[in-house]
Amino acid sequence: MENPGLFTAIHRPGDKSPSQVDFVVRTPADLVRIQRQEAAEICNVFGMSMAHATMMLRTMRWNREKLIERYIDDAERVLRDAGIADIETDAARPTVLPLRHQLCEICFSNEPNVPMYALACDHAFCVECYNEYLSHKIQDEGLSARIQCPGTRCPNVVDEPSVEMLAHPVDYVKFQRLLLRSFVDENQVMKWCPAPGCEYAVECHTPQSALDSTVPTVKCRCGHEFCFGCGYANHQPCICNLTQLWLRKCMDDSETSTWISVNTKECSRCRSIIEKNGGCNHMTCRKCSYEFCWVCMGPWAEHGRTWYHCNRYGEQSSQAARDSQEKSRSSLKRYLHYYNRYANHEQSARLDHQLYLKTEKRMESMQQKSDLSWIEVQFLRDAVDTLVECRMTLKWTYALAFYLEPGNLTTLFEDNQCDLEMATEQLSGLLERPLERKSIPALRQQILDKTAYVASRRQILLDDTAEGLADGRWRFNMSLIN
Amino acid sequence: MSGICQTRLIEERKQWRRDHPYGFFARPTKTADGTLDLMNWQAGIPGKTGTDWEHGIYKLTISFPEEYPTKPPKCKFTPPLFHPNVYPTGTVCLSIVNADEDWKPGITLKQILLGIQDLLDDPNPLSPAQADAYNLFRKNREMYQKRVRQQAKENIPQ
Repeated sequence: MENPGLFTAIHRPGDKSPSQVDFVVRTPADLVRIQRQEAAEICNVFGMSMAHATMMLRTMRWNREKLIERYIDDAERVLRDAGIADIETDAARPTVLPLRHQLCEICFSNEPNVPMYALACDHAFCVECYNEYLSHKIQDEGLSARIQCPGTRCPNVVDEPSVEMLAHPVDYVKFQRLLLRSFVDENQVMKWCPAPGCEYAVECHTPQSALDSTVPTVKCRCGHEFCFGCGYANHQPCICNLTQLWLRKCMDDSETSTWISVNTKECSRCRSIIEKNGGCNHMTCRKCSYEFCWVCMGPWAEHGRTWYHCNRYGEQSSQAARDSQEKSRSSLKRYLHYYNRYANHEQSARLDHQLYLKTEKRMESMQQKSDLSWIEVQFLRDAVDTLVECRMTLKWTYALAFYLEPGNLTTLFEDNQCDLEMATEQLSGLLERPLERKSIPALRQQILDKTAYVASRRQILLDDTAEGLADGRWRFNMSLIN
Repeated sequence: MSGICQTRLIEERKQWRRDHPYGFFARPTKTADGTLDLMNWQAGIPGKTGTDWEHGIYKLTISFPEEYPTKPPKCKFTPPLFHPNVYPTGTVCLSIVNADEDWKPGITLKQILLGIQDLLDDPNPLSPAQADAYNLFRKNREMYQKRVRQQAKENIPQ
């Protein structure tokens, strides 16, 4: 079954497999450029200023087609929603009104020779009052695109060129950052990379409505792989919904209580929780020294001389109690089966960093012990990359499998999973093998083959699951979902 | 007290003394040593003629924060008023004096007081602030009006 020829097939960039989605990583500079382009398109169509076009696009969450349609339909309403007083004014070049020509409604001062500013709505305020107002809105309230004219009940929005002119440079820098943030946050095809300190955004056109049938996994330029649908770290092949359910289930302490209820009983006198790990049915509570029977929970004294046998076992009530315990035990067993495997891979992933450090050392020692060059030992790093990817995929296959309805397809899925699991463990074993001068070339070949094999198995599993999702082929166990 | 806050309050006082709506009063309180405390005002709002609130003058304290006029003043009825949009502490729940809603630095004291007067006979059932008045207003309008008229009588200035 091992086919190294597949190796080339997996590393073809640009060629999309069913489990991949198209996406582009955007830098902050890109985002600024895109905003300009979008606004320029609107300017071309309607011949207004860039600032006004941008304001209108914001109210439409950057949906250009919708804006054009609405604007043709009811231009006045669009302008009102965007807080634009007069589309004819040139927002690109705001000018300070030279001297005080009316009372400033903020400071009520009528001191002459003070520069003032007004939006097209003609509500004039001292430049200094404006500055303080903007500083408060930007720094304290974190507003950017929706800062209104300070005039009473005036819905007009202070446009960007005005803010640039009136606000303190420090406030303006934050204003721009907030604007950029809102551009991505409001935009349905953009998401910020959730990695700490990363300032890139990812553009992907998979709609939220498709999340039941696809797992849009994207990779930021910083290296972080995450799901575009929910923002969580890569959880292919498990869909967002099930991922959230699974994570909640794992975090939830209810499984702990299930375990307690299945594996322990309470002392009938002091209610201490007791786990029986051996011995006979004659229990003596460590805490309160109460003696009782583990089977019927009654006082031991009543059992007389039948030391290792409880007469009450055959009674109907105890039969029913045992049945229900049996049932909850099997559902717990099922959960633990999937959870243990999931947790095992998660645990390994936590040790990734150490594995990489160790591999670094092995690559050095391999160069010393053989005549392989630096380039030629890079295969070890590739192998570890693949191993880490496979563990992540395997981890989520267990979450998905937990929710799958038993059936032929599920059996096939679990066969694929099992195959990948086995090969991954074999690869992991090869990577741990001691380095001996003689066996290095053979080991290298083995690792290369195994890496290629697991990478292809992983891709097959992902593609098959993705196709299944797209075709609605998978059947989920609804009693676990609802 | 910041520069803008100080000058604005002096100006508010000047404007109020020059002209204010009939039946209203508003003045800064005095501190212990007898000087004017511009940050805390005493005001009175008359109930509108022809409503259940008529004849009463409802007293409130208005306290201005350091950040005024960037932030709105706090308006509080003393004693607390029986009204669906007045909190049990007496604080008025009105969008134009809420920093996160419709407050604008350009809103004057006169506009605030007129806005609260409008609110008296035209409560906003969408933002209840006290259970007592709100429940009566919703469930037993007659009883509510009776309480309001009673309150108006208690607030006729001597």
